[in-house]
Amino acid sequence: MIQLRHISKHYPVGFGKNEILKDVDLTIFEGEFVSIMGPSGSGKSTLLHILGLLEEPSSGDYLFEGELVNKMNEKKRTQLHRGSIGFVFQAYHLIDELTVYENIETPLLYKNIPGAERKSRVADVLDRFNMVAKKDLFPNQLSGGQQQLVGIARAIVAEPRVILADEPTGNLHSDQARVIMQLFKHLNETDKITIIQVTHSEQNAAFGHRVIEIRDGKIQ
Amino acid sequence: MFRNYLKIAWRNLWKTKLLTAVNILGLSVAFAAAILLVMTAYREFSYDRFHTNKQLYMLYINTYHAQGLEQRANMPMPLTPAMKQEFPEVKAATRMLYTSGMLRYHDKIFQTDLEGVDVDFLHMFSFPVTKGNTQAPLASLDNIVLSAQKAKSIFGNEEPVGKQLEARIGDNWKTFIVSAVTNDVPDNSSVEFDALCRFENAAGYEGQKDAWSSSTHYVYVQLTDHAGTAAFERRSKAFVNKYFAERLRDLKRDGATPGENGELIGMHLRKLTDLHLNGIGSSESLSKFYPYLLLLVGAFILFIACINFMNLTIAGAFTRSREIGMRKILGAFRFQLITQMWGEAVLVCGLALLIGLAAAYLLLPGYNSLFKSKLTFGLLQQPLLQGVAVLLFFLVTLIAGGYPAWVIARLNTIKVLKGSMQAGRSGKVRNVLMVTQFVISSLLICCTLIAWQQLNYLRNQPLGFNREQVISLPLPHDVNPEQALKRMRNKLAGEANVLSVTGTDINLGRGRDGSSATSKVSYDYNGHVISSNWLRVDYDYVKTLDLTLVAGRDFSPQYGADSMSLVINEKMAQQLGGVKAALGALLPVSDSAHPMQVIGIVKDFNFHSLQENIEPLSMFMSPGSSVQYIFVKVPRGNLPASMGLVTKRWNEAYPGNQTDPSFLDENTERQYRKEKRFSSIFISAAVLAIVISCMGLFAISVLVMTQRTREIGVRKVLGASVTSIVTLLSKDFVKLVLLSVIIASPVAWYLMEQWLENYAYRIHINIGIFIGAAVIAVLVAVITVSVQSIRAALMNPVKSIRTE
Repeated sequence: MIQLRHISKHYPVGFGKNEILKDVDLTIFEGEFVSIMGPSGSGKSTLLHILGLLEEPSSGDYLFEGELVNKMNEKKRTQLHRGSIGFVFQAYHLIDELTVYENIETPLLYKNIPGAERKSRVADVLDRFNMVAKKDLFPNQLSGGQQQLVGIARAIVAEPRVILADEPTGNLHSDQARVIMQLFKHLNETDKITIIQVTHSEQNAAFGHRVIEIRDGKIQ
Repeated sequence: MFRNYLKIAWRNLWKTKLLTAVNILGLSVAFAAAILLVMTAYREFSYDRFHTNKQLYMLYINTYHAQGLEQRANMPMPLTPAMKQEFPEVKAATRMLYTSGMLRYHDKIFQTDLEGVDVDFLHMFSFPVTKGNTQAPLASLDNIVLSAQKAKSIFGNEEPVGKQLEARIGDNWKTFIVSAVTNDVPDNSSVEFDALCRFENAAGYEGQKDAWSSSTHYVYVQLTDHAGTAAFERRSKAFVNKYFAERLRDLKRDGATPGENGELIGMHLRKLTDLHLNGIGSSESLSKFYPYLLLLVGAFILFIACINFMNLTIAGAFTRSREIGMRKILGAFRFQLITQMWGEAVLVCGLALLIGLAAAYLLLPGYNSLFKSKLTFGLLQQPLLQGVAVLLFFLVTLIAGGYPAWVIARLNTIKVLKGSMQAGRSGKVRNVLMVTQFVISSLLICCTLIAWQQLNYLRNQPLGFNREQVISLPLPHDVNPEQALKRMRNKLAGEANVLSVTGTDINLGRGRDGSSATSKVSYDYNGHVISSNWLRVDYDYVKTLDLTLVAGRDFSPQYGADSMSLVINEKMAQQLGGVKAALGALLPVSDSAHPMQVIGIVKDFNFHSLQENIEPLSMFMSPGSSVQYIFVKVPRGNLPASMGLVTKRWNEAYPGNQTDPSFLDENTERQYRKEKRFSSIFISAAVLAIVISCMGLFAISVLVMTQRTREIGVRKVLGASVTSIVTLLSKDFVKLVLLSVIIASPVAWYLMEQWLENYAYRIHINIGIFIGAAVIAVLVAVITVSVQSIRAALMNPVKSIRTE
C-alpha cells in the first residue's frame, strides 16, 4: 500500500545541512498496524509527516497505492487528505471554536457529503465512542483522553484507508492510553484500517503487528 | 459548509470582543464619513445633468489684453440674433438677463427672480411646462412663466394661468399675463429662475439692443446633434472679425499679444455640465478640485480603517493558525480557506456598513448645516451610487480580508501545528501599514494647520479700512435709494452714537444679502487704455471708512461740481503716472467732451477679498448710478447698542420695510466661507483619520503587549523600573509615527504651497507647522500606547511569567 524508496530528508543549516532521514526504504501493507519507535530527534516524526504528505522528501520516491506522490499537484494531495488519510496528533489539535459534533463533522463537509448522510455518520461515530452526551461541548470542556477520542473520531469519520498517529497517547496517563490503543486495535481488526503510529512506549508498540526502529535517520 | 463558516466566524468574533469592537467601530465611522463625502461629491458632479438635451453650452469670450487674458460670459445684446443667423451649427440659443426682483399681485409684493430669456429657452432646457400653454408659453411679450413653487406662493390654490400680475422693471411696474407654470428648478441646476419673461422686457433693452460695446447678459447655446465645439469655434473667427472689428483694432494698438491659437478675441463654448465646477472667468481653481478632494479624503479615511482591519486580521489569524493548519490536513483547498477568511471579513464589513449607513443617516442633518449642503438620503437610490457602493464594499473586504486570508492560507502546515510560528513577530507588513496610516494622518494634520493659519492670517490682515466700527445697511429694492440715504442722514445726524454716514453701490465683503459685485470702466487716456474699478460713493466715504488721503481732498458739499470729480487710490494714480501727475488730471471716462477730474488720492485698501491684489479704483459721486448700501460709522464701545439704534432709526424711516444690516468685519469674514468650509473639511478629516489610526494603534498595542507579557515579567524580575519598561514598549511605536511625519511633511508642503498660490496675501509655510504636527501625532500615539504599556508594566511578574 505504502512504499518508500531511498527517501532522504535534510534541512539547510548554515553552510552545511542537517540530515534527518538517510536513504529510508519502507513498505507497509494494507491492514497492517505499524509502530515507529526511536529516541528523540531520530527522525520518526519527520518520517510520519512525509507519509502523511505534510512534508516533502528531499530525494527518493514515495508511492501511495502504487501512485507516485512526488508528482502529485496540491489538489490531488488534498484529495488524498480528504479520502484516504486520517491524522491523530499528540496535542489533539481540535478546533477550539467548534463543538465536539462540529469538529467531527468538518472532514465530511470538505468531502461534500450531503447533510442527511453526514448527520447519520457523525451520530454513528459518536455512538460508537460513547460520546453522544458530550456532542455539544467545546474541546476545552473535555479531559485530555476525551479530547483524543474526539480526535480519533474525527480521523475515522471520513473512512480513511490509513490513520497516521503522532504519539497519540503522549499527553495521556496510562489508563487513558490503554483505552486509545485498544480502540486503534479494534479499528485495525474490524474496520481493516491501516494504522501507523509513532510512539515512545513499548507497551503501546505491543498493540501493533510490527515495530520499525529508527535511529539517526536510518531504519534498523 | 456555509453555516459552519458562519458559526465559526461568529464564535471567533465573540471571543475577541475588544478587537472586533475596534474593527467594527473604526470601519463604521469610516463608512459613515465616506458615504457622506461621496454623496457630497456626487451632488457636485450631478449639476446640470438632468437636462435631456446633451448639446447645451454656455458661450464665453476670451480677450487677450496687453495685461493678459480676460475671460467673460457677459455678451452684448445683438450677438445672439446675429449668431443664430450665421452659425448653422447653432440649433437654438437664448440670452438670459436678470430682469426684476419683484412681482406684485393684488398689492402684495413677492420677491422673485424674474429672468428675461428668448423663446428657445424652454425648448433647450428640461424645465417641463406642467400647466398652461405648453407649446409657446413665451410667444407674446407680456407672457410670464412661473415656477410651480412661485405660482403656489403667489396664487395659493387659485389657478395661476391667465392671471395678471405686475413686475417691477427699472423704475416702472409692467403688467404680465401668466401663460404657463413649469416644474421647480432642481437645486442642482446652474440655470436658476423663479419666473421667466421675454428678454425684450429687460430694462435698457431699447437702448442696448444694437450696442456691441456693452455686455450685460449670459448666452446659452444648443448645437445641432452632431456638431462639435471645434466647428463652432472655427466659424467664430470670421464672426469676430466682422462684429468686433473696433475692439480688435484697439487691442492691437495697445500691443495685446494673441493667445494660443492666434486670436485676440475668441468665442468659445463650455459644456453646461462643466459649468458648475469650472465657472467662466472664476479664478478659484479650488472649486474645480473640491469634489475630487472630498473623494480623496473619503478614500483616505476608508483606507486607514482598512489598514486597521488588515493588521488586526493578520494578527488575529496567527492565533488561529492552528485551526487553519488542521483544516488543511482535514482536506481544505487553499481557496476554501481564503473564502472562509474572506467571508469573515465580509461579515464584519457588512456589519460595519450597516452601522455606518445608520450613522450617516443620523448625522445627515448636522452635516448639512455644518457644510451648508442640501444632501438627502434619496441620493443613495441612484443606480450609479449603488453600483459604486457595492463595488467599493467588495474592494474593501478584498483588501481588508483577502490579503490576510492569502497570507495565512500560505503558511506551512507543519510549522503551524508544531507551534513554531511565532505570532507575527516579524511585523514588517504591519509596520509598513501603520506608517502608511500615520503618513495620511499627519498629512491631514499638516494641511489642517496650514489652512487654519492662512485663514487666521486673512482674518487679521489689516485691510486699510475700519471694519470694526462700520455698519453696512443694504437698501431694499423698493425704496428710492438716494432719498433713503438722505433720510437716514437726517435721522442719524443728531445722534451721539453715530460718527458719520455715507453711501455706496458695492458692499465691502459679503453682507447678509449675500450679493457682491464688481464694476469696471476702461477708456483711453494719453494713448493708453486705463482700466479701473468703478465705485459709486457718497460724501464722507473716506471719513467713514478711515481711509487715508495721500493728496487732494474728499468729496465735499462745499464744492459745487463734485458730480464730475473722482477720488482714486494709489494703484490708479500709478497708472496715471504717479501721485503728482494724477492729482487734477482730467479723465475722459465716458467721453472726452465731459472729462472727470481727480480731486483726491487715498491710500490703497483691500476693497476685494485678500485672494486678489489691490486693483486700481476710481470713486465717483454722480447720481446717475444709485447707492445701494448705507455705511454708518459708530464709536467704539457698545457696538450692539449702536446697531440697535441704526435699525431703530431705519424702521422709523421705513416702517415695515425689512433690511438686514451687519458690521463690516462680519462681511469680510463671510468672504472666506469657502476657505472655512475647506478647513472644516480638513479638520474633520484629520480628526477622523487620527482617531481611526489610534484605534488601530491601540488594538495592535494590545496584541503586542500580550505577546511580550513574559519578556516584561522577566525584565521586571531583573530589576527594570516601570518607567523604563513603558519607554521600551512605546519606543517602537513612537519611532514609526515620527517616520510618518517625516514622510508626510514634504508632501503637505508641496500640496499646500499649490493652494496658497491662489492667494495674493498668504502665509509662508514654516517648519514650525511640521514640528507642531509631529508633536500632535506623537503625543496622541504615546497616550494611546501608554494605556496598554503601563498596564503591562504594572502587572505582577509572577503572574506573567507563569503564563506558559
